[in-house]
Amino acid sequence: MGVVSLTIEAPETGQRAAPDRPHRRRGRFGFHGAMMTPGLLLLAVLSVIPFLTVLAMSFSRVRLLGGVSFSFVGLEYWARFFADVDLWTQWLRTLVFFVLTVGLEMVLGLGLALCLWKLMRGRNAVLSLLLLPMFVAPVIAGLLGRFLTDSTFGLYSWLLRLVGYEGDILGGSYSAFLAVVAMDVWQWTPLITLITLAGLTAVSQSVREAAALDGAGPWQTLRHIILPSISSVLLVALLIRSMDAIRYFDIIAVTTNGGPADATKVVPIRLYETAFRFFDLGYAAVIGLVMLAVTIAIARVFVGILDRKGLTR
Amino acid sequence: MTQRGVIDRRTMLRGAAALAAFSGLTAACGGRQDVARVATDDRWRQFAGATVNFVSENTAPTAAIAANLRPFTELTGIHVNIITLELTALVQKVALDLAGGESQYHVIYADPYQVLAPYSKGLVDLRELANDPRLPGIEGGFGDFIPTQLDAVGRFGGDAVYALPYDCPTIVWQYRADLFAKHHDRMADDLGFDPTPSGERTWEEYYRIARWFNDNTDDVAYGTGHQAKQHDSLMCDFSNVLWSYGGDYFGDGERVGLYGTVEPGPCRLGSDAAVEAAEFYQRLLAIADPSSRTWDWNGLAPALSSGRIAMCPNWHEYAAANEQAMPGKFAYAPMPRGPVRSANIFGGTGIAINGNTLPNERGAAWLFANWATSPATQLANLKSDAGGGTPTRTSVYELPEVKRAEHRPSAMPNILTAPAVRKAWEPANIGLRPKIPMWNECDTAIYTQLSRMLAGDVSPADAMRETATRFDRITERGWVS
Repeated sequence: MGVVSLTIEAPETGQRAAPDRPHRRRGRFGFHGAMMTPGLLLLAVLSVIPFLTVLAMSFSRVRLLGGVSFSFVGLEYWARFFADVDLWTQWLRTLVFFVLTVGLEMVLGLGLALCLWKLMRGRNAVLSLLLLPMFVAPVIAGLLGRFLTDSTFGLYSWLLRLVGYEGDILGGSYSAFLAVVAMDVWQWTPLITLITLAGLTAVSQSVREAAALDGAGPWQTLRHIILPSISSVLLVALLIRSMDAIRYFDIIAVTTNGGPADATKVVPIRLYETAFRFFDLGYAAVIGLVMLAVTIAIARVFVGILDRKGLTR
Repeated sequence: MTQRGVIDRRTMLRGAAALAAFSGLTAACGGRQDVARVATDDRWRQFAGATVNFVSENTAPTAAIAANLRPFTELTGIHVNIITLELTALVQKVALDLAGGESQYHVIYADPYQVLAPYSKGLVDLRELANDPRLPGIEGGFGDFIPTQLDAVGRFGGDAVYALPYDCPTIVWQYRADLFAKHHDRMADDLGFDPTPSGERTWEEYYRIARWFNDNTDDVAYGTGHQAKQHDSLMCDFSNVLWSYGGDYFGDGERVGLYGTVEPGPCRLGSDAAVEAAEFYQRLLAIADPSSRTWDWNGLAPALSSGRIAMCPNWHEYAAANEQAMPGKFAYAPMPRGPVRSANIFGGTGIAINGNTLPNERGAAWLFANWATSPATQLANLKSDAGGGTPTRTSVYELPEVKRAEHRPSAMPNILTAPAVRKAWEPANIGLRPKIPMWNECDTAIYTQLSRMLAGDVSPADAMRETATRFDRITERGWVS
């Protein structure tokens, strides 16, 4: 048989190709730009303008009487921020709170999801019961927690007294901190369970059967098949909870209001106090902006990981 | 079709609609309209048809007024909307309303420390309205209000009166009279003094009585309870001890408490007397119900009325709830004495009128404020099933039916506290926290340090010195309203 020789023409370079590209790009941008304009305008009204206002507030002393007015004070509030030892302690406390709540919620949520996944009968009923705390408003969860830990009539206080704990749960520094952590974990573990369960149902049955045929035990299957399969889902769950945990407010405000002895005063409580109790709005703007920066940094870390896994496109 | 240069009907209609929408929008954003004034000789009915918005903390007097607004509406023809909020929320809304300049709230519950001191410039000087011949004056004049209350809740830094005394909660010694009677002789023998609560008992004796209940009876779980949560209540509870030991927040404490100032001078909490008071308070809380550290006044009140503790310092307006829970079993006395005096912290509040109100709105608001603090309304509040506070008018306490109600059986349970609070309101016994615009931040500083002291994180001396340092830092920054 004869040999068929195929000659591919080299793409045209230089002067001819160059004019085409900008033309196509401009056209595409024009269409997308037009579609995005209303959204961008709305975003500007809802986010950008308030953001710029808060930024301006952080360099100003804000007066309320006779209409809101700003008087420029330069870096005064930013300098105060870096010298505020209390605030740094509160950031440290927020970090500990963040690690404890998110860590516990991830571990418990994953464990509960695995249990539910294996449950063949009554799964929906159990799942419905499990999800209930998530549908309660955080402030109600806080009130509920306060009643349950009340030393006069609280169920948990009574149970703890039966096992020999005589202290007041919300009256001790450590016990109060652990109590508010527990309340958050109680409320938001179901969300992790739900997201993880959705991920588990997508794990390929054939891969699990193949692993079983190869002699993989339950732990090995979990370690090498299931967890890698749901890692991206877990990462999304972690991202959602992290963003929430850093601005945790309601339950602490209702139960301990930051006490006793500042043991539960996290940064959002401090921010609220500075803005709406002291009306020190310039300094509150600084605290808020730093909180925003931290939240964005956390989100960027997770999005970066998802990006590396190729899950953002 | 539209020909060039010719406007068709549809385009014209569109233009008209756009113009109408724009006009509506500018009208909505533009000037406000005042309420109408009716030409009448009846000074109470000249604003008939107006609506007055009254924003208040959810307190007993407001509950009673809200339950009985009909007499005011019949008298004036004015409709009143009452918005009740928790105090912190109220302060936020009032601050934002004053900033907005729209006067959403015409009549304001003006807490002396959180509203009056920081925002007095945004309130109306009520002397102008009281002296306006077109408006009804105050029955009995300003002089009918209890003098210390008028100064404490109505004035800030001068002679102007920004608020009319509206409620007057005061911390007094509340105790289970039945238990004190039951154990009186045994206690007297064991303790070596007459344990019956009165303004002559000392804090040391209070401590020993509390301990006696802890150690000798099963009638109650603990002798005493306190409102020692990391909250405003902790400052209130401690202040009684502080003043009785001769300590104070600032140098000229009486003037700062009564009239208020923007520049209170250096803080005095580092003094020996203040440290001694803190040491005693720490000792007292060590034998009090351990849950005290989680209670504010709302947590403490049911502890007493449910029979968990034998006595406590609490706001006198809880008397009605006490009587409801265990009728006839409670009694009230002024706070114990320290080395210097008996001090009873006053937590009263006035009602003020928003400075952004338009002239007729202001007149209508004055009618309501005047009526709500009038002797007749205060008497009706005393009898109200909805709660009701105690009067702020001297003339009401002089009424024969009120005097009779001071003794059981009483149809006005709150007035059972009258002998104790009358004593507490005497200038020598009243306790007034500093009326300064930055009080919220100072308040937070002291109750946080006290909470740390009670948790064992710092010593009483360190807690007081640290608080003094913080107070000075806060007051040095000054205040911009």
